[in-house]
Amino acid sequence: MSDVTSAATTPPAKPQPRITDCAAPYWQHAKDNKLVLPYCGECDASFYYPRLWCPACFNQDISWKQLSGKGTVYSYSVIYQSPLPSYQEDLPYVLAIIELDEGPRMMANVLNCDVDKVRVDMAVEVVFEARGDMKIPQFQPA
Amino acid sequence: MSHTNPVAIAAVSEMKPGRYPDKDGYDLYIEVIRQFLSEWSLKPSDIQGLLACPSGMAGGGSNDIFVHEQLYEELGIKPLFADTMNAGGSTYGLMVQRAVLAIQQGKVDSVLCVGAGKFPKVSTGGAESMARMVSHEIYEFPYGTFIPALYAQVATRHMHEYGTTAEQLAEVCVSSRDWALLNPDASTYGGEALTVEKVRQSRPIASPFNLYDCSIPLEGGAAFLVCNEAYAKRLNKQPAYVLGMGEFHNHRNIHQATSLTDIGCSKSGQQAYTMAGLRPSDMDFAEIYDAFSINPLVFMEELGLCPKGKGGQFFQSGAARPGGDFPVNTFGGLLSFGHTGDASGMSMIVEGIRQIMGIAGERQLDKANAGIVHSYGGMMSEHSTLILGRSA
Repeated sequence: MSDVTSAATTPPAKPQPRITDCAAPYWQHAKDNKLVLPYCGECDASFYYPRLWCPACFNQDISWKQLSGKGTVYSYSVIYQSPLPSYQEDLPYVLAIIELDEGPRMMANVLNCDVDKVRVDMAVEVVFEARGDMKIPQFQPA
Repeated sequence: MSHTNPVAIAAVSEMKPGRYPDKDGYDLYIEVIRQFLSEWSLKPSDIQGLLACPSGMAGGGSNDIFVHEQLYEELGIKPLFADTMNAGGSTYGLMVQRAVLAIQQGKVDSVLCVGAGKFPKVSTGGAESMARMVSHEIYEFPYGTFIPALYAQVATRHMHEYGTTAEQLAEVCVSSRDWALLNPDASTYGGEALTVEKVRQSRPIASPFNLYDCSIPLEGGAAFLVCNEAYAKRLNKQPAYVLGMGEFHNHRNIHQATSLTDIGCSKSGQQAYTMAGLRPSDMDFAEIYDAFSINPLVFMEELGLCPKGKGGQFFQSGAARPGGDFPVNTFGGLLSFGHTGDASGMSMIVEGIRQIMGIAGERQLDKANAGIVHSYGGMMSEHSTLILGRSA
């Protein structure tokens, strides 16, 4: 890994998530810059991550609902040293748990923000980052 | 545990944590068992059950998922109860619990619980394979997960909710090092004491953790024999009785934890206190799995050993250190004893057993009638609490 900072080498691509059948709509909407999560009508609640049943009641009649994309930082860490080759150029970067305004929490990076400015409870909004032919939800200061 | 037949741990042994480049996971298992048999006088008929754990998980491999089969054959026993099981760091606490149930059911009189672990160097792709192992492949890993940063979520949230400081986290490391300097088997024995300043000045890894907030990756293993009371007394004048036990499986991936400051430890802890008929104030010491400095601080609170939100103040007071009012991680913790990969969940149990048996050498506590041992697997995902004591 001593040569990852060499200008001649192109950093390897960041991981592209594997698309499972139950999550196909989630990734399809992400391509359109929309945060759409599975929704349980019985519980009147969205949940994350996508699965074939509602984890609160086992209801399998799942629909999909677009969320506001607004949330707050529930917790975070600034990573100064990471062994992941694809993230070397991002150091230091923020790994956070985001609490969406609608309730569910998800993991993401906080982008477009000085790492020293990130705080718990900071307001953030979703932003989509290309990964190959996919996009993944990320967050930035609102 | 008066309503059931007493069960106790009668024999214990642990390798000195280190780097063993010439030994693979199975070789370490054989060395652990050789050392165990050389230290305790046992016959093959004394081991009626066997529980083992795959030793290659930390290295990203798991080709030894049947390790118990090879071990009982190599030992030369035909057990009535055996399995290979894995619950990360909580594996060995849960082994004790499974063994206790099998013994109380009358299936067997004794169960050998054994573990060995390799630990990849973090710079050789090992950290990536470990990050893949403990974070969700699809919904976490693509965000550049890194084990210290996953643990740090709990630390950052605790700091936010309770005002805990990085200096208070550093106090956990200082306390553990003071104990390790009394333990000839600890990897930092003979080294220097830590100070809050040294911890805070060590290089930043993932905020709020610096290098010394992280445990020391090494290799090793341990074994102990869980027995019914008659067997235990025949083998050892002062066995370590299992007075209480509890388990709780809260989540798998850290972002799915309902709360980062009530993460499941309190549930297993409460079960253990109830079973033992004891309270937190009855405990003389605690041995708590500590991959990072935040763990003992949070778990002291969740186990009811200090008030909620006061874990930082507890460690700052010096109470956990040698000579303090409530010793914690008297073997030096994974922070300063060493973290032996898949076997790391052994070390705090081994120390709890030794303190109860009264064989902990220079660090032996004057008062060790009852102690609590907490271990967890994954990202503080699943929990095992044991209460050990000198008499049933």
